Amino acid sequence: MLGQIIKKQALILLRNPVQLLLLIGLPMILIAILGTALGSWMNGDSIEINLKVALIEHETEEEQVARFVSDMDKARLPEEAVVAIKESAIETAPIRMLKDVFVSEELSEMIVLHEVNPSEKQDVLDDDSYAALIEVPENFTYETLNEIFLDEESSINLQVFQNEQQEIGANIVGQILQQFGEQLTLGVFLADQGIDQRAMQVDVDELDSEVTVVNQGNPVSSKAYYTIGMVVMNVLFMATAIGTISFNEKQTHVFDRIILANVSRWVYFTGVLITGMIFAFIQSMLVFAFAWIVFDITWPNLFSFFIVTLSLSISVGGIAVLLTAVSYRFHSEVLTDFFSSIIVTMMAFLGGSFFPIGDSSKILQVIGNLTPNGAGMSAYLSIIRGDAMVAISNHIVYILLFAITSIIIAVLSFPRRGVSA
Amino acid sequence: MLELVDLTKRFKQNEAVKNLNMFIEKGEIVGLLGPNGAGKSTAISMLSSLVEPTSGDVRYNNKSILRNPGPIREVLGMVPQEIALYDDLSALENLQFFGRIYKLKGKELQIKIAEVLEQIGLTDRKKDIVKTFSGGMKRRLNIGVAMLHDPEIIIMDEPTVGIDPQSRNYILETVKRLNEEKQMTVLYTSHYMEEVEFLCDRIYIMDQGNLIASGTKEEIKQILSSEHTISIKADRWNDRFIEKLKNNPTIHRVKVEDREITIVVPKEVNMFATLAKMAEEADLELRSVDINAPTLEDVFLHLTGRALRD
Ligand SMILES: Nc1ncnc2c1ncn2[C@@H]1O[C@H](COP(=O)(O)OP(=O)(O)O)[C@@H](O)[C@H]1O
Ligand SMILES: [Mg+2]
Repeated sequence: MLGQIIKKQALILLRNPVQLLLLIGLPMILIAILGTALGSWMNGDSIEINLKVALIEHETEEEQVARFVSDMDKARLPEEAVVAIKESAIETAPIRMLKDVFVSEELSEMIVLHEVNPSEKQDVLDDDSYAALIEVPENFTYETLNEIFLDEESSINLQVFQNEQQEIGANIVGQILQQFGEQLTLGVFLADQGIDQRAMQVDVDELDSEVTVVNQGNPVSSKAYYTIGMVVMNVLFMATAIGTISFNEKQTHVFDRIILANVSRWVYFTGVLITGMIFAFIQSMLVFAFAWIVFDITWPNLFSFFIVTLSLSISVGGIAVLLTAVSYRFHSEVLTDFFSSIIVTMMAFLGGSFFPIGDSSKILQVIGNLTPNGAGMSAYLSIIRGDAMVAISNHIVYILLFAITSIIIAVLSFPRRGVSA
Repeated sequence: MLELVDLTKRFKQNEAVKNLNMFIEKGEIVGLLGPNGAGKSTAISMLSSLVEPTSGDVRYNNKSILRNPGPIREVLGMVPQEIALYDDLSALENLQFFGRIYKLKGKELQIKIAEVLEQIGLTDRKKDIVKTFSGGMKRRLNIGVAMLHDPEIIIMDEPTVGIDPQSRNYILETVKRLNEEKQMTVLYTSHYMEEVEFLCDRIYIMDQGNLIASGTKEEIKQILSSEHTISIKADRWNDRFIEKLKNNPTIHRVKVEDREITIVVPKEVNMFATLAKMAEEADLELRSVDINAPTLEDVFLHLTGRALRD
């Protein structure tokens, strides 16, 4: 029985060449256009990281350390303490430590630190090749040392100017400084405890996944990016196509005929769900096959690839039954129309189908991954970059949860008895 | 066999069917007559278990089908008022799909489909997509789909709406044949008097949710038995003759048309002699004088004061 319903849905879909062209041909065309037209822009700063960072010091650090040391001589502290503090103060000079971080082996590969005269500050700010400018105000080292060793409050902070044109780079610098700051505070704590804190360094592995991902993984070509973007967007249209076919069955009363043949409405419901899944899967596979043949888009891990495609297809089935159930309940196709005309576009936009929107802000990234297409996209991108299964499992779990939630809401809203006189 | 007991359906304020009582016996063709909006489709939807009644009961072989619609669904063929077909599939594909959901398969299904196609006269067009069919062909297929599983009872909801007279006759003949050859029980809904009059043994007349008359054709026409309609034909009229008709106290109504005058008189009065005398006095030559038997149309008019078709 289920088989009959699925077969019939397939037949109806196949009888609509325009619909098919939109579902399968359009993504292919879009991949070709977007992948080619936006290729150079895509490759800009998201794949290889090569950052320039400027550092401006208003006063040399040695002078300030010397000032601190001479203060210590005048201080009325036990002789031994004074000697110990002087020694570690020389080693704790924060700006020197910061420079060490930037020239460390891990970071020097992607970041070049330029020391710049204060007078050139405006030039650097105007120069888009810099990802960030770090400005050390006067007295910074002196006050920091006082804070560390003598527990005096300091109100002076490093000033960081981030270049909004280079969001990823600026983010990375921000994260490095944040880690550095945390360790410096930790240093204050360690010094308080009289523990040596020379072993200070920024742990590159702990920099956010954003950095590691773009830094370590295989590069993602713009064609691959748009293949994924268009697939995850266009499977949503499959959900609306199936939803429309189902609602049409109610409109034309063939659904009544199915019910009168004593077929349970839940068999019908399951038929819609499975049709949505199967067709989304076939649709994805066709577009991916096209991308493989024409653009040579291949997958390093086919197993993960199939799992993601399957999960995404299940969520498409979920959306299809949800749209069906709601349109049956309210006897109106308004929601399905709204979904296909507006919501899909929004979801595609947030999910990153058009450009990597998540790169520009953490919040948008989180929101994007809350859409099934966005989560699917992140998972596919991870696979192409060669990440392990663990990196994509979160997304898969989320997609499946989304699918289950949709199905449950659909079950609850599917009308018990057709009220169609 | 099939009974509606005090069946009522309310849609918000609107009471579409009010306390309807009906029965259908095996082998009968029963007509359900009423103008648009009378509540016919709603009654049928409840009868076929598609819509739950607000109150009342539907009984098939003395068992309520409200909770357990299985038995009625098995024996029922439903021809909905709308054309409930897949427009994008061929006639054959439609029949195959609906046959299979009625659990027919293989050879049995094939034979049944061939038989139905023959009955509805679409054998030659079976491979064509329904979209390309004329209204009449769609209507015929709409009926065919309901006959695949050899239903004991077939319910037809205005199956001839909006089609050409030829297709209409074809459908009416098909229904009659199914009833005669297969003893199929038929509930035939229509707002065309002549269809119901042609097909049905017993008739229910509904108006605005109420049952306003029921019985055999003869019983219903008895309602009008006290009067006769007489039509008089002539090549032309003169005022003297019309004056005489209007002044005659036994004649209730006079309607003058180009070549025909209709009058309504009590049944017991013999008008022939009177009319002949009047014509002679008025110097008029009559072509014919006919007594018309009442039609259901007349009955409806009599009962509601309104014509059936508006
Ligand atoms: N689903 C519904 N919701 C609200 N009102 C309805 C519905 N179905 C029918 N009606 C109303 O019930 C009345 C009877 O309709 P219907 O049974 O279709 O009449 P008929 O078939 O005799 O033309 C009409 O006034 C119609 O507007
Ligand atoms: Mg109707």
